[in-house]
Amino acid sequence: MTAFYAWIGGLAQRGLLPGDFQYPFLVRGFFCVLVLAPILGGVSHLVVTRRMAFFSAALGQAAITGVALGLLIGEPLNAPYGGMFGFCLLSTMAMVYIKRHATLPPDTLIGVFHALTLGLGLCLLVALTRQFNVHQVESVLFGSLLTVTDSDLALLIAVGTVVAVLLIREYNHLLLDSLSPPLAKVAGAEPAYLEYFFALLLTVSIVVSLKIIGALLVEALVVVPAAAARNVARGTRGYLIWSIAVAFFAGVGGLGVSTRFVVPTGGAVVLAMSAIFFLTLAARSMRRRPLASRAARG
Amino acid sequence: MTTGDEPTALLDVDGLTVQRHREVLLDAVKFRVRRGTVHVIVGPNGAGKSTLVSAVLGQIPFDGRIVMHWAGSGAIGYVPQNFVVDPTLPVTVADFLALTRQRRPVCLGLAADTRRTIARLLDRVGLSGLETRPLAVLSGGELRRVLLAHALDPTPELLLLDEPTAGLDEAAVGILDEIMLTAKRTSHTTVLMVSHDLEQIRRVADRVTVLDRRVVVEGSGDILATASVRELLPDVGQRRLARA
Repeated sequence: MTAFYAWIGGLAQRGLLPGDFQYPFLVRGFFCVLVLAPILGGVSHLVVTRRMAFFSAALGQAAITGVALGLLIGEPLNAPYGGMFGFCLLSTMAMVYIKRHATLPPDTLIGVFHALTLGLGLCLLVALTRQFNVHQVESVLFGSLLTVTDSDLALLIAVGTVVAVLLIREYNHLLLDSLSPPLAKVAGAEPAYLEYFFALLLTVSIVVSLKIIGALLVEALVVVPAAAARNVARGTRGYLIWSIAVAFFAGVGGLGVSTRFVVPTGGAVVLAMSAIFFLTLAARSMRRRPLASRAARG
Repeated sequence: MTTGDEPTALLDVDGLTVQRHREVLLDAVKFRVRRGTVHVIVGPNGAGKSTLVSAVLGQIPFDGRIVMHWAGSGAIGYVPQNFVVDPTLPVTVADFLALTRQRRPVCLGLAADTRRTIARLLDRVGLSGLETRPLAVLSGGELRRVLLAHALDPTPELLLLDEPTAGLDEAAVGILDEIMLTAKRTSHTTVLMVSHDLEQIRRVADRVTVLDRRVVVEGSGDILATASVRELLPDVGQRRLARA
């Protein structure tokens, strides 16, 4: 990879690429955004359609506990993936299982898990301060490009490829199940399987994004792109394209801002994303105004 | 649901009991739907009609037996009573109809074959040209006809319709009648329909089961005129007067 970064850096020095590409960590960050945009953009529009925004927030909190558990069992500070994957997958399975078998509304149950995992995570983090400075896990909470390694990028690409392939395979059933589980079942899909399947895909997508976006902000990345896309898209194709485009441009914009103004990458990306959301909201209201006045005249 | 060898019945329901929170929604319901007929389930609100449909579709747990005697494709077409569309959801009519008609994810575009099938289906329910319209802006009647179009392909051996005339105007009800009767005549499709529309029931029903958590009475469309049934279905009578 060193030769690759040197080649990209050479292109940047000759003015063929923006100057920021002289720095390997920024090149790595750009590639992370390049991979994250289709994963989270693609997952995002199904998250919003399946009303799983709160579920995503609970998963982000569970990741904090996962990090703490990983560090407690001796995982390296910059890659506590065992703890994160293990605890998040366990939380996902438990949330979906209880949601399917309990009579309480889903948001109430997820709220219970949200509180439980956050409480547990905070207790464990305090326990961890005997071994580490708690600021050392800050990158997992808020996201940081400086701590992203080539191994993280490789993991992101591998997981992204698997998630994309699996999503493409089940996309139509997932969307039909979001619209009407009975119709999906008649069409041969199994709503219980789809619920577990999508929750697990969402979990792995979130966990691999944490080092870049941060546990506290990852929910935004799986909600805001689709929310912005809904303001301008007119069909499922546009919905997907806009979701990915919003994730990508907010990612690149946030990356640029975070390096120039030394702010956490996750925060900068989410701010850029929110700005795009409000732009699309304005575009939507401007598009509707002429239609309304035309209707009033006609 | 299992497959048996009964030649004349497509569906046998025997001792069907459904309970939720210790309340009995269906109590030992027993009836038979003959192949190639239009069988209507009618009953007052809370009689368990939609619960019965859910049980037949295998969507809720139940006690008793529901046996399907498939002789053909075994395909089920289903028009649900409730289909709530999020008002900001950018899914078009064509996207929706393509979901079960192509393997490629609809977000990556629709195949030419799928587009042709969708155009044919929409034409069949009198909604030609509505392909690019978002589901969220359709009227209740249009949405119900889109669901009917969805249920008609592939040609179902059993067509399950839960309150299909809700929100439909007279012309659309006429189209629905024609589609049902054509499917029955040409494809030997069996129709099991939950309905409140007495006029429509008289026009199309071969058999009627009056349900009030259990089977009250069963027979031809004429049983709707009996005093005991009219007493059981006062809301149905009011709806009929409102339409008239």
